[in-house]
Amino acid sequence: MKVRRARSGVFDPRIVGTVLVVLLIATVFVSALVGAYNVSPGDVLGSIARRLGLTSGTPSDRTADELVWVIRLPRIVLGVVVGACLATAGAVMQGAFANPLSEPGIIGVSSGAMSAAALQIVTGFSPLGIWTLPVAAFLGGLAAVAVVYTIARHDGRTEILTLVLMGIAINALAGAAIGLLAFMSDDASLRSLTSWTLGSLAQSTWEKVLIVGPIAVVGLIAALMMARTLDLLSLGDRAARHVGIDVERSRIKVLLVVALMAASAVSVSGIVLFVGLLVPHVVRLFVGPQHRHVLPLSVLFGAVIVSLADLMARTVLEPAELPLGVLTSILGAPVFIWQLRRLRSRHGGWV
Amino acid sequence: MTVRRLALAAISAVGLLPLVACGSQSDATSFDGGERIVSLTDGLTESLFSLGLGDQVVGRDISSTLQEASDLPIVTNDHEVNPEAVLAVRPTIILADEDTGPETALDQLREIGIRVEIVPKAVTMDGIVTRLRAVARIFDVDDRAERLADRIESDLASISNLPDQGVRVAFLYLRGPAGVYLIGGPGSGPDSVIEAAGGTDAGTAIGLSAAFTPLTPEAIVEAAPDVILVTTTGYDSVSGLDGVLALAGMGQTPAGRNRRIITAEDGLLFSFGPRTPELVRNLHDEIARLMSDTGS
Repeated sequence: MKVRRARSGVFDPRIVGTVLVVLLIATVFVSALVGAYNVSPGDVLGSIARRLGLTSGTPSDRTADELVWVIRLPRIVLGVVVGACLATAGAVMQGAFANPLSEPGIIGVSSGAMSAAALQIVTGFSPLGIWTLPVAAFLGGLAAVAVVYTIARHDGRTEILTLVLMGIAINALAGAAIGLLAFMSDDASLRSLTSWTLGSLAQSTWEKVLIVGPIAVVGLIAALMMARTLDLLSLGDRAARHVGIDVERSRIKVLLVVALMAASAVSVSGIVLFVGLLVPHVVRLFVGPQHRHVLPLSVLFGAVIVSLADLMARTVLEPAELPLGVLTSILGAPVFIWQLRRLRSRHGGWV
Repeated sequence: MTVRRLALAAISAVGLLPLVACGSQSDATSFDGGERIVSLTDGLTESLFSLGLGDQVVGRDISSTLQEASDLPIVTNDHEVNPEAVLAVRPTIILADEDTGPETALDQLREIGIRVEIVPKAVTMDGIVTRLRAVARIFDVDDRAERLADRIESDLASISNLPDQGVRVAFLYLRGPAGVYLIGGPGSGPDSVIEAAGGTDAGTAIGLSAAFTPLTPEAIVEAAPDVILVTTTGYDSVSGLDGVLALAGMGQTPAGRNRRIITAEDGLLFSFGPRTPELVRNLHDEIARLMSDTGS
C-alpha cells in the first residue's frame, strides 16, 4: 500500500472500494436504527423479514415495525439511489465533456426539472395526484436536455462549447421562469419551492422507489458500460475521433444517460448540491482518472455521501429537518479540499 | 428566529428523552381509557384544551403557543410534518387542518395505522363553534361542546352589536429580519376579527382576493388604514413602534401619521377559540380610544 501510493500518488481502487462499501453498509444500518422513534435492531430485521415472508407472527412493537418499513427504508433506498445517480451522472459528464467543471446541471437537467416542479407547485394542477410533481420534474429535466441538444446541433454535429453555452442560456431562462413562479406563489407553495431547491428525501415512499429505481438502475448500468468510451472522449473530441470513436453518437448516448440518471434523482429529492460536481473529483483524486475505477467508485461514494447527509438532515435538529443539499456540501467540501491540497503539494499542480 | 428554533428543538429533544428512555414499552394504545392526541395546529390545540381534553394531548406542533400546552413536547412544524417525530410520542390520534402537510407524511401516518382527523380551519366568528363541535364529535364529548358553545355564542351575541366605527384597519403580517411584509385580506382570520370589532378590513376594502398579499408601499398608501393591527412577534421583529412607522409608505397613511398601531398576541389573533370574543371587544375599545385620542 505504501509502495503503491509513493509510486502513483493514488490509492488502490480495490481498497477504496472496500472502504466505501463498509461505510455504505454502516450508514444504511445506522440510518435504519436512528430517529425520533426508538427502534431496536430486532425491530428492523423483523420488519424486513416479515415483508419478505421469512417470519410470521406479530411484532413486539407494531408501530416500530410499520415505521421502519413505511418511513425509514424507502427513504434509505432512495438516498442510495439519488446519491449514486447524481455522482455517476457527474462523472460521465466530466469525462465526456473533457471538462472538470461539468456537472449534470450544465445541460439544464436540474433547472428544467425545477421549473416544471415549480409550475406544478404554484398552479396546483395535478392530474396524476401526488405523482404529478415527480413526473413533471422528470419530464422537465429530460425536455430541457432535449432542447439544449437540439438548439446546439448544427449540420448533424454538436460542439461541447456550444452545448455548454446553450445550456447556460436554457438555465437562465429556467431561472427566470422559477423566479416568476416564486413571485406568483402563496405562502404554502413558496415553502414547497424552497424545500425543493435545497433537496429533501422526507417524502420518500416505496412507490417512488419502484418508479425511479428501475430507470436509475438502467442509467447506472449504461454508464458503467461506457468506461472505455469516456476514457477516450476525455482526451478531447479530435483525439477520440482519431482512435475510431463515433463522437456524435457517443455524445447522444452520454446526454441520454446523464439526463435519465439526473432527472430521476431530482424528481424524488429536489436539487441536491455538490454531489454531481465534486464526488467524481474526489474519487479521481483518490484513484486516478481511469473511468473503469471512477464510475463504480462514484456510484458508491455518491451513495455514501447522500445517505450520510440524509441521516444527519433528519436527526441533527430533530424534529426539524435540515435541507439535504446543505449537508452534502458540508460533508463533501472538506474531503474535496483536503484531497486537492494533498495532491497539489505532491505534484505541484491542481489535477 | 433561528436561535429560537434551535432552542425549541433542544427543548423538545429534552422533552422526548423520557419517552426514548421507556421506548421499549410495546403498547401504543390508549392509557386510562383515553386517547393519546397529537395536535398539529394552534387552533385545534386550543379547542382540545377548552373541551377539557388537554390531559390526553401528548404532543403539539411548533405553532401551538397556548399557555396551557407549553409543557407539551413540540413534535413537528405544521407545514413540514415529520412523521417519525410525531410517532415518537406514541399518539393514537392526530388532529390537523386542511393546510397541514405534506400529504405524504399524513398518508404515511395513516398507513402505519394512526387515526388522522382533518378538522377545517376556523377563520370566522361562526367557525369558532363549528370547529369546536367537530373536535367534540371526534372524542364523543358533544355535551361539553354544547355547554361551551352556549357560552361562546352568548359572548358573541354580546359583541354582535358593536357600532360600526367607520375605521379602516389593516392587518400586517411582519417578519422584520426575513423581509416578509404581508397585508391581510379576505379569509386571513384577522379580517373577521376586525369586522366583528366594528372596523373595516383595509385589505378587503381595496379589493384584495388572497388571504395574504405581499405589501408594496403603494398598496399600503392606497389602503389608507386609519389603524394598523400587527401581531406581537411581528411588532417585536421590526423593533417596535418606530420600526412599523418606518415601513415604506406607512408615513403616508392616516395610521402612520397619527401613530395608531395596535398589537395582538399571535396565538390569540389566529386561535378562534373561547378567548376570541374578548379579543374582539378589546380591539373595539382600543380602536375607539386611539381614534378619540388623535381625531380622524
